[in-house]
Amino acid sequence: MSKGKLGYYDPKKPQAGRITDIGPSHYGQMLPPVIRRNYGKWASHRILEPGLLVHVSETGEKAFTVRAAAPRLISVEHIREICDIADKHCNGYVRFTTRNNIEFILDDEAKAKALKKELDGKKHIGGSFKFPTGGTGMGMSNIVHTQGWVHCHTPATDASGPVKATADVLFDEFKNMRLPAKLRIALACCLNMCGAVHCSDIALLGYHRKPPAIDHEVLGKVCEIPLVVAACPLYAIKPITTEEGKKSVSVNNEKCMYCGNCYTMCLGLPLADREGDGIAILVGGKISNRISMPKFSKVIIPWLPNNMPRWPEVTNVVKHIVEVWAKDANKYERIGDWAGRIGWERFFEKTGIPFTEKSLDDYRLAVDTYRTSTQFKYTDHAWAVSKAVGGI
Amino acid sequence: MGRDEDIRQAIIDYASKGAKSKFYFKDMLTGVKKTIPDAGASEVKKVASAMVSEEVMELLSTGSSTMYGLKGRGISVEKSGDAGG
Amino acid sequence: MGAPGQEKLWDKEEKEHKKYDDIRIFTDEQLKNYTDDELKNFKVKHDISMIEQLESGPWPSFVSDIKREALHRHKLGQDNLMIPADICDDLLGIVELSYKEGETHWKHGGIVGVLGYGGGIVGRYNDQQAQFPNIAHFHTIRVNQPSAKFYTTDWLRGFCDIAEYRGSGLTNLHGSTGDLVILGSFSDQLEPIFFDLTHDLGVDIGGSGGNLRTPSDCIGKARCEFACYDTMDLCYEMTMEFQDELHRPAFPYKFKFKFDGCPNGCTASIARSDMAYIGTWKDDIRINQDAVQEYVAGKIPVDGGAFAGRDWGKFDIQSEIIDLCPTKCMKWDGKKLSINNAECNRCMHCIDAMPEALRVGKDQGLSILFGAKAPILEGAQMGCLTIPFMYVNKPYDSQKNLVRKVFDWWIEEGKNRERIGETIQRVSLKTFCEVLGIPPMPQMVKEPRSNPYVFFKESEVPGGWDRDINAYRTRHPR
Repeated sequence: MSKGKLGYYDPKKPQAGRITDIGPSHYGQMLPPVIRRNYGKWASHRILEPGLLVHVSETGEKAFTVRAAAPRLISVEHIREICDIADKHCNGYVRFTTRNNIEFILDDEAKAKALKKELDGKKHIGGSFKFPTGGTGMGMSNIVHTQGWVHCHTPATDASGPVKATADVLFDEFKNMRLPAKLRIALACCLNMCGAVHCSDIALLGYHRKPPAIDHEVLGKVCEIPLVVAACPLYAIKPITTEEGKKSVSVNNEKCMYCGNCYTMCLGLPLADREGDGIAILVGGKISNRISMPKFSKVIIPWLPNNMPRWPEVTNVVKHIVEVWAKDANKYERIGDWAGRIGWERFFEKTGIPFTEKSLDDYRLAVDTYRTSTQFKYTDHAWAVSKAVGGI
Repeated sequence: MGRDEDIRQAIIDYASKGAKSKFYFKDMLTGVKKTIPDAGASEVKKVASAMVSEEVMELLSTGSSTMYGLKGRGISVEKSGDAGG
Repeated sequence: MGAPGQEKLWDKEEKEHKKYDDIRIFTDEQLKNYTDDELKNFKVKHDISMIEQLESGPWPSFVSDIKREALHRHKLGQDNLMIPADICDDLLGIVELSYKEGETHWKHGGIVGVLGYGGGIVGRYNDQQAQFPNIAHFHTIRVNQPSAKFYTTDWLRGFCDIAEYRGSGLTNLHGSTGDLVILGSFSDQLEPIFFDLTHDLGVDIGGSGGNLRTPSDCIGKARCEFACYDTMDLCYEMTMEFQDELHRPAFPYKFKFKFDGCPNGCTASIARSDMAYIGTWKDDIRINQDAVQEYVAGKIPVDGGAFAGRDWGKFDIQSEIIDLCPTKCMKWDGKKLSINNAECNRCMHCIDAMPEALRVGKDQGLSILFGAKAPILEGAQMGCLTIPFMYVNKPYDSQKNLVRKVFDWWIEEGKNRERIGETIQRVSLKTFCEVLGIPPMPQMVKEPRSNPYVFFKESEVPGGWDRDINAYRTRHPR
């Protein structure tokens, strides 16, 4: 590798030696030998215990996979430790899953079990596990998430922190396979959803409740107003001249949906707000086509406060939903399938989560969510309506 | 002038006028089509990409979308080798 | 390297393969430069007592991890690093500040990139530069991950050295779209990082902005019996074919490919990609009747053992498989399982539940669904089933040609910041079918339209729309 400030790059001849359009490193060179030998020949698989899978090839060969969690935001020190383990146990091969788990693939069951034991024994000095194994079968896999306060300019909450807090609370579900179906949790720290959480069993969504503040003092000087105006997807921003004669913009607060595109273009329109920002909770989505079609997650709690460092309001609700579902659902029922079968009114009753006016959709195509049937179940919500009209 | 030069000139004309110093490819394409009605997206892109490599134009990525602009007009790119950092 | 002839650059099974030692920046002594005791007693520059509360609890703590990188950098010293040795200290400091205040301290504000590319790098600055000068810049570099995220440790260690020497030493493995992400670099290090990646590691950066985004895929045929096509190879080939679209922006907005090997959809293509390739088959589910008997007898655990953590009672094929089949196309007579394959919609349930008895069909290909996206702006969309079945044969000409058709159309027709799902919604699925040159099929919709507001073309109505009012009046006086 190059060293020094500029390395191989010469700013006087920026095109010299420039290599472009080479794409990703070819995957073929990264595959463990047992995978190469049986590529396309796999016949079946089993989960031997949480965090340990075996895949059986038509050739009779077996690949043993040990799966461990990673927090996604990881240091090179952490990656090097993963490499040390992979060198010791897996001839220098390792892979990662879509949900940020680490997978070590071996061709021997005893060796895989020894590796698993070693992984489960490794802890950070602060006390947490470094590589807890699990995340298989009918349990919780890793929580996928976005950047939050570690790196993002439009978050309404942190990402790594609430995820750590939630995963701590649900750790046993990562280590076990005792749920009615898979549990997939995801967090996006604002509604742009750079981590698309909209089809998760449980989605935690950072949510702003205030439009951007406008810094009239600097806006006209440091930002290009036509670009700021064009940045708004809802055409809520208009150029104005302030009473002091400064070039600036106005924001139509009724239209704003807090996407932060304007702040991306212009630092004069910050979005973050201690009181305004928090987390919405959505449940019942999935991406698999198994039994029922893929589903969107539904908003069940429009907003909970950011209560650092461990977001107890959020983790309590998540844990509670998982517990109620685990107890009540049939085998194979994802959260959305379960709620669909018992009825969402029953979901709110069983979980005790309040159904408020904000749970009634008022955005585009809201009418699609209205119930147009006399098929419903009686809950206290229904009696309250009947009483309100003097019907009871 | 050849076809590519015509397109190049049309891009410069579009990029140096107008209120916005940065613009989407689509707007630039529409701008070029005003002088060269049959200009296709791929040939305009080819010329624009060459202009970016020659540092006549530069690209602004907001992360979610990307805009073109004439180098030196409006906010500009920070580059390796520049002072600061 | 992705480039032709370099496919085995890092291949450990090849004699002359490249090794970490060939490109390493740090010595072994530099890599193992602190003890557990030092880490135990280590304090970062700022008070971070609030986020240190995230070190306890069982889940791997990102705070503990960043602290050890901070210590490692201190011990490496500024002479061995191209960006501030204290960058992790300042990062933890600013995160602590956000935890106290409940607000982010990052802003976008800058334009950064490498020459000639429109994507792959996202600029980031903080708004507390006086207090945290070492994170004045904290740019992101997206690096195109190999298919299914398989690595050799030689390659990964090389990546780590770049990310530490010219970055903060912090990464995302992996970003939401699939890239390897180097976090926290400074503007002056972007070109050197790009040169190191392309010259020494043989890898390119990924996509951002109005480009093709870095494609990603499931593990596919590498280790999954459900995979109906070679997701890893198709992902690689499509990424290579459309490099220009990935690096040089001409799209109205972002565009994502994702490749799932079967309808279980582990890569979430149906929810997260503008063009989702999902494996499927068109012949019969393969049945091993003896193995079915073993499942029924409880000799093989259902779902490969996925339910093993709870006592769900004895497996009952009638209630758990036959009755849950969404099309009710299966029968069990006590001895033999039969499937009316013509009625099967390939939901995967029976195969997922009894993988040792049932297998996906042998006549395999893929379906293509267009238009999935997250909610901004018109609401979330899932992919719309548009192409029911395509064979997947290298060099994938039919897949590539279809994509070219889609891109050519969308570049011209899409509005700025409009995902293709929204374009299709705006111009109608009917128009999109015409663009692709495909007939409409009932599989494209959940049910037929209920509103009768059908627009007819003038050419479809005999006589056209120009009517002779005088002739009309001869029949209908005023």
